[in-house]
Amino acid sequence: MKDYAEKIQAHARELLAAGKVDCVIGYETGSDGVNARPAFVYRAEDVGRLTFDDTCTHDLVTYLRNRKGKATAVVVKPCDARAVNLLLLEHQLQREQVVVIGLVCPGIKERAWGQKGEALLGKCQVCAMHNPPIYDFLVGQPIAEEPSPDQRYAPVAALAEKSPEERLAFWQAQQERCIRCYACRQTCPGCYCTECFADRLDPQWLGIRVDAPANGMWHTIRAFHLAGRCIGCDECQRVCIMGIPLSLLNRKLEQKVDDAFKFRPGQDAQTPPPLATFNPGENLGVDGGHGC
Amino acid sequence: MTDNGYQPKIVGFLCNWCSYAGADMAGTSRMVYPSHIRIIRVPCSGRVDPLFMAKAFEQGADGVLMAGCHPGDCHYNEGNYYAQRRYALMRELLAFMGIEPERFRLDWVSASEGKKFSQVVTEFTQAVAKLGPRQGVRR
Ligand code: SF4
Ligand code: SF4
Ligand code: FES
Repeated sequence: MKDYAEKIQAHARELLAAGKVDCVIGYETGSDGVNARPAFVYRAEDVGRLTFDDTCTHDLVTYLRNRKGKATAVVVKPCDARAVNLLLLEHQLQREQVVVIGLVCPGIKERAWGQKGEALLGKCQVCAMHNPPIYDFLVGQPIAEEPSPDQRYAPVAALAEKSPEERLAFWQAQQERCIRCYACRQTCPGCYCTECFADRLDPQWLGIRVDAPANGMWHTIRAFHLAGRCIGCDECQRVCIMGIPLSLLNRKLEQKVDDAFKFRPGQDAQTPPPLATFNPGENLGVDGGHGC
Repeated sequence: MTDNGYQPKIVGFLCNWCSYAGADMAGTSRMVYPSHIRIIRVPCSGRVDPLFMAKAFEQGADGVLMAGCHPGDCHYNEGNYYAQRRYALMRELLAFMGIEPERFRLDWVSASEGKKFSQVVTEFTQAVAKLGPRQGVRR
């Protein structure tokens, strides 16, 4: 990864100098002097700020939604690149307005203030896509992909094996802690509705009371709105100040969608999403059965 | 309903064109079925945003039934197909979060199937009653 910064800077310089984009979204070193933070570079002479290393946790694609209609370059890891495909598929982005600087990614580390993290992020430990599925410029040498590690769904299976009462108790304990800051929503590249159901007053789907049932409703609908769409960047869980394991819900749906509909979000920008299509012959659990 | 007098609350989302008419048929034919179901008429099973299911449970429902036209008979051709996919995912998610899968039911009931309607409601109400009241709801 040593030469990544240099290559990103070179692409950014060229794009900005030629006027092909008016902003490059990348990473720079943050205020603790170690960890990266998002950087928005508008002038060719400022590209020196751009860096890349194993502290670059953010999914920068989420910032593209504020730049509708303006040509933008964005630095993406393979997981983030899937978010680009998601937005293209859902017509939230026009291909010609985004320049994708895709990185081959060996994995990102846990963050700790002022120091280098040690362990790989959970999502990187079970990552099955190290090369970006979409890019205009590729940085790094492509590496051989291996099948999804078995551990990917191990935490989901462990919880699914428990009794309904135990699962309920587990989630209630999580829901009680949620402060409904909506950081999970704000950071998600797939959460772009201008009016979230959670903010609606008429009908008011979600009361302003912050208690386990209402928070559970939030967690349920947040996860469901990303069913067949979540690209698994785990940003929602990372930003949650209360440490709520939101990825468990996302993974559960991801696994189900893969099993039932053979669909993996973000792999390309063409395959119709599973909830926007159907197969007339299917039975997914009608008549009280559990078809799928 | 049960020996200890527990009365389950069931919310039923019925499509206007088939299942609601099927319920009507059951009524006009004087068929007897448990009266725990609160029916909400929707234009099509495809109108049932999974949010409705989650909301019903949040508000204390013990079971949620969804019924629409048989495949191929939907008034809007394909609403029930989309409904089925959403239902299947939402049930999976809520079950993972601790709501027993027996508390959900999706069925196809046509306007002439008054008998089927009463059967589905009876079976479902019994299954839900057996589970008892839900934990973790505001009372
Ligand atoms: S980020 Fe965490 S605390 Fe904030 S709303 Fe989401 S789940 Fe709740
Ligand atoms: S739900 Fe979480 S993991 Fe999925 S795309 Fe959104 S932020 Fe990423
Ligand atoms: S109109 Fe009955 S399911 Fe669509």
